[in-house]
Amino acid sequence: MALLDVVDLKTHFFTRDGVVRAVDGVSFTVEPGRTLGIVGESGSGKSVTALSIMGLIPKPPAKIVEGKVLFEGRDLTTLSERQLEDVRGRQISMIFQDPMTSLNPTLTIGTQIVETVRRHFDVSKAQARKRAVELLEEVQIPNAAGRLDDYPHRYSGGMRQRVMIAIALSCNPKLLIADEPTTALDVTVQAQVLDLLEDLRAQHEMAMIIITHDMGVVAEAADDIVVMYAGQIVEQAPVLELFDHPEHPYTEALLAALPQLEGHGIREGRLTAIPGRPPDLIAPPPACRFAPRCPYANDRDGCATHPPELRELRTGHWVRSQHPASERTRAGAGVPA
Amino acid sequence: MSTSAREHEVLAPRPTIEPGASGDAGAPIQQTNLWKDAWYRYIRNRGAFVAGVVFGMLVLYCFIYPLLSPYDPDKVDFSLSNQSPSLEHLLGTDRFGRDLLTRTALGGQISIGIGFAATLVILLVGVTYGSISGFVGGHLDNGMMRFLDALYGLPYLPFAIITLAIFGTVNFWTMVIALSIATWFTTARIVRGQIITLKENDYVRAAKALGARWYRVLARHLLPNTLGVLIIAIFLELPGVILGEAFLSFIGLGISPPDASWGAMASDGRVVYRTYPYQIIIPSVAIATLVMCANFIADGLRDAFDPRTRET
Repeated sequence: MALLDVVDLKTHFFTRDGVVRAVDGVSFTVEPGRTLGIVGESGSGKSVTALSIMGLIPKPPAKIVEGKVLFEGRDLTTLSERQLEDVRGRQISMIFQDPMTSLNPTLTIGTQIVETVRRHFDVSKAQARKRAVELLEEVQIPNAAGRLDDYPHRYSGGMRQRVMIAIALSCNPKLLIADEPTTALDVTVQAQVLDLLEDLRAQHEMAMIIITHDMGVVAEAADDIVVMYAGQIVEQAPVLELFDHPEHPYTEALLAALPQLEGHGIREGRLTAIPGRPPDLIAPPPACRFAPRCPYANDRDGCATHPPELRELRTGHWVRSQHPASERTRAGAGVPA
Repeated sequence: MSTSAREHEVLAPRPTIEPGASGDAGAPIQQTNLWKDAWYRYIRNRGAFVAGVVFGMLVLYCFIYPLLSPYDPDKVDFSLSNQSPSLEHLLGTDRFGRDLLTRTALGGQISIGIGFAATLVILLVGVTYGSISGFVGGHLDNGMMRFLDALYGLPYLPFAIITLAIFGTVNFWTMVIALSIATWFTTARIVRGQIITLKENDYVRAAKALGARWYRVLARHLLPNTLGVLIIAIFLELPGVILGEAFLSFIGLGISPPDASWGAMASDGRVVYRTYPYQIIIPSVAIATLVMCANFIADGLRDAFDPRTRET
């Protein structure tokens, strides 16, 4: 059985200007011990998906209008706030983007770990402190015992993110959701934090969801990838399959937008960008949401009239498009003028 | 030329941050935290520092001098009435022959006592109201704030007078209630604003994501972070309350003889101010000093706690 099974999740924000369909029918599963990467640009709904799983979306204005979040078979969307609190941190943990603000500046690092441990386990303060030192050592904080009573401002950004990881892992959760865990960090520190996350995931036998807009991050860390666009999944595949044979025009464009270190064009130094901007989620394009920015969209194929379904092109490789790359080449049609 | 210099800088090996090699071992760095920082910044502010010292001395004098004084502050002796300041009576005597140095201290006890007690009540009510409103948010917050807006219309002193009239008696605690009943609104607003700002912080979200219950979030992550503001609020409210007490006692609605408060003493002195002006000047100066000090302290604290004025 899958550890986490998100079924047709719809999270909408009810604002004064209208209903924002931030997450509009997202389904995926996370198997125990696997890492799922969710990729997409800002506003594609990836963070809201994560917060919906945790039950942390701000309500009002947000509301899960449809769908299920089955965690070990239990639908989290039906739990009361109190029951959810027992799941958070204990079964599912989360780390956030900005380590500089994710720790309370008025409490010592030790206190913040000890409190989380004692929130979920019935242990004495001394035991919890011992556990805190172990955790800090596990995330490679030097002189862990000595730094336990330091305040967060004495830690660097990378160290703070490692502390956040330590806190998130303190209760041995089965699933760790990392919402852009490396975005706010230096490039050198990013790699360290990613390696650390992967090591710890393996040691703790957790499953992990990594949310990012950085293709490089998912390439390194994820087993499976979900590409989101405008609140929907547009492509879903195992990591190698996705990078080797991207099907959706959006995924192709994302990969093309990555800075190239070699090959032709490097001297010119221009980055490829996707034309246009992400759609307004109050009134998204009626059919294919990527159609206005898609180089292959045309009236003949009904890109603006018939919403494409997510279909399984190959085993485990799902695409939501009329013009997946493989069909384009085979049919030899639909090449942009 | 400048470009090549910049390139050089970029290409130069950067100091790498090795997990094993950062700031451990070696010389211990001086621990510093918000409170120490605030303290250093406060004592560097000369005006606030002097005000703090004067304030402290005034409070010490009020609470310690009566114990040392050779005179009974309540003993009436008409043979000694209305003596001008002399070596024997440094501040002179009033028309009942009571030593004014002792009596001013005693009056100060009541004035300062009521001031602090009322401020504490204000904080208690204000923090409770403000934090509930800000923390829960939504319709409750809206309702509570509109109710507060309505209460803001209440004039402070008339409302205090009415409250005293309803109680029927004037003593220390009825004065405290009368003075705090229409003054906690600002504190409530300040706390609400703080809580609303603070609850958007990532660490609050992180705490929730780790399973913290609401009361833990409030008690551990929100309220401690409002402490700096609350300390400022104490010294902002204090002068108003002390002045209010003095005013009520001065017009004869507050503390009455034989008890003393600075307002009541000024009221007594008013009767004889043409002939013995020192009798009204002494309590007035005491009130003015205390209020001015409290204002300076509030200013200094605000600078000390406000990160925007923090020098590096």
